[in-house]
Amino acid sequence: MKQTIYLMAIREALDEEMERDEKVFIIGENVQQGTFGTTSTLVQKFGPERVMDTPLAETAVAGAAVGAAMAGFRPVADMMFADFMYIAGDEIMIKAAKWHFLHGGKVSVPLVLMAAMGGGMKIGAEHSMCPESIIMHTAGLKLAIPSTPYDAKGLLKTAIRDNNPVVFFYHKGLLGVPGEIPEEEYLVPFGQADVKREGSDVTVVATSRMVHLSLAVAEELKDKVSVEVIDPRTLEPLDIDTIIASVKKTGRVVVADEDNRRCGVTSEIGMQIMEKGFDYLDAPVQRVAAADLPIASGFMEEHILPQPKDIVAAIEAVAT
Amino acid sequence: MKLTKDQLIKLYTLMVRTRELDGLIINALKTGKAIGFFHSGLGEEAVSIGGCTFTLKDDDYLYPHHRGHAIGFFLARGLSPKSFVAYHLGKVPQDVEGPTPVERGIFGVSGTIGGSFVLSVGMAITAKKNGKGQVTACFFGDGAANRGTLHEAMNLASVWNLPIAWICENNLYAQFMPFKDAFAREDIADIAASYNMPGVVVDGQDVLAVHEAVQAAVARARAGDGPSLVECKTYRYRGHSEGGPDIAHYEPRPTEEVEAWKKRDPIVLFREALLKQGTLTKADIKKIDKETETEIEALEQYADECPRPQPEDPSVLDRLLYAE
Repeated sequence: MKQTIYLMAIREALDEEMERDEKVFIIGENVQQGTFGTTSTLVQKFGPERVMDTPLAETAVAGAAVGAAMAGFRPVADMMFADFMYIAGDEIMIKAAKWHFLHGGKVSVPLVLMAAMGGGMKIGAEHSMCPESIIMHTAGLKLAIPSTPYDAKGLLKTAIRDNNPVVFFYHKGLLGVPGEIPEEEYLVPFGQADVKREGSDVTVVATSRMVHLSLAVAEELKDKVSVEVIDPRTLEPLDIDTIIASVKKTGRVVVADEDNRRCGVTSEIGMQIMEKGFDYLDAPVQRVAAADLPIASGFMEEHILPQPKDIVAAIEAVAT
Repeated sequence: MKLTKDQLIKLYTLMVRTRELDGLIINALKTGKAIGFFHSGLGEEAVSIGGCTFTLKDDDYLYPHHRGHAIGFFLARGLSPKSFVAYHLGKVPQDVEGPTPVERGIFGVSGTIGGSFVLSVGMAITAKKNGKGQVTACFFGDGAANRGTLHEAMNLASVWNLPIAWICENNLYAQFMPFKDAFAREDIADIAASYNMPGVVVDGQDVLAVHEAVQAAVARARAGDGPSLVECKTYRYRGHSEGGPDIAHYEPRPTEEVEAWKKRDPIVLFREALLKQGTLTKADIKKIDKETETEIEALEQYADECPRPQPEDPSVLDRLLYAE
């Protein structure tokens, strides 16, 4: 194993996959420099033909990736901020998501749409969103949201090799998070949740940055309540079986995610727990999510985004 | 390239077949056999046939536009019309021989207008990476020319010198919106200058004019000289979609306008030219008409005999969501 950080793990995944398969290329705004460092230095190794800087044109970035994918390449479109993916709604949610289905399986769209999501940087409503629910809602898109360097590298490599469109949301608040990854090659399969901490009293299903907040809260509460933290790692496919198995053990569950509360990821996971694990529940499912408001900028951000105290409150609500 | 006698006859025959196949679907809708939408392309046959028949190679990419549901493009690319007819009648085509649309570089017609511009950029990027001189021909209507995707795509194609031929089939209406009220200039071809590429206007009723202009654009792209824009001025005879009104804004389209365009029907114009130069005789024309009629009858019968999708196995849809 070796020590790295989240953003370097992402870069390593891109580097290795570009080395492995010449059909892989990166396209996006300023990817040669890399806004978040995830694509930096790759142009020096692979050249501008494979690390393609585009003008400010999100629709063209996503659309070109769809076209190139259908023509047999494996593009990684870097959409920079996840918020910007709304601009390319047609290309992402209609073309990439549906065209395999619409063409009776005769056309495949093997691409990765990579973007930085989430708050914490206090940069306001159009640079801090976690639009996971809209992607999870769209049939035909897979969705990976890693919380650790290990998962980031392994999931991104799997995403690039997948023959379907995969949205890869990395959290900009986790870019410097350290962690260990193997020296040798590895992949993290889709649809396999990871139990980040074992516990017996309460299950917290947490995604992305919420995993870290939940782990910290679990540690803080360890003398009072034993918290199990499950990271689904991919929301489509969603490993509901691992979640239900944990609920069966604890009987109490909190779902924590940074997307908006209303119709958000927590709604979907909470409802699936109701459908598949109702008999195991000893308390109503609690949700921790962003308020149903645009994300305020500056210091007001913390009043919108879910905070550790919200996770504590939710755990206490189900545990008592 | 000057077309041979056989090639001229092929162009004419394809235009006739395109028109009759379009008519087949219109009739099938009237008799309740066809299902879903149909956007007839009657009157616009010269653009798809002139633009695609002798201009593209087998491994070039093509984005048709939606009028006539791309039947002219399919015929021009050597695809069997069996699937086209079967699908419109809600049937599952059986034993279709010949290349598939994907094998002829056709990856689907965008249901959301203007979607093909940016996808064409992706195709052209791969063409450049492949280095085999492939070209992407992107056909679109005047309505699509109002989409912002056109700006992003044309600009990027020009900056990156991509092998794309943009071909506008300007039929003067976008659903009920007249072109003159939707576009700030008289010619869409004018915008080419903004993207530092050649832009030409051709008579979209003249199949040979379309052929020549598109061929020049394709040759330029193939030579590595980048994109260009060809605008074909044409007209649609029917309303936006079958069963809907044939109007401009909220009033019927002016009869005199429709009649004036019908006097310059692309098939009639080409037929007269071919008769005059002796390429075709009246007997030849009768023969082509008869053969087309026979083909249409056989296709109707074929589609009637094709099975409907099996509702007892809807899981086929689940299996189609993702590729392996």
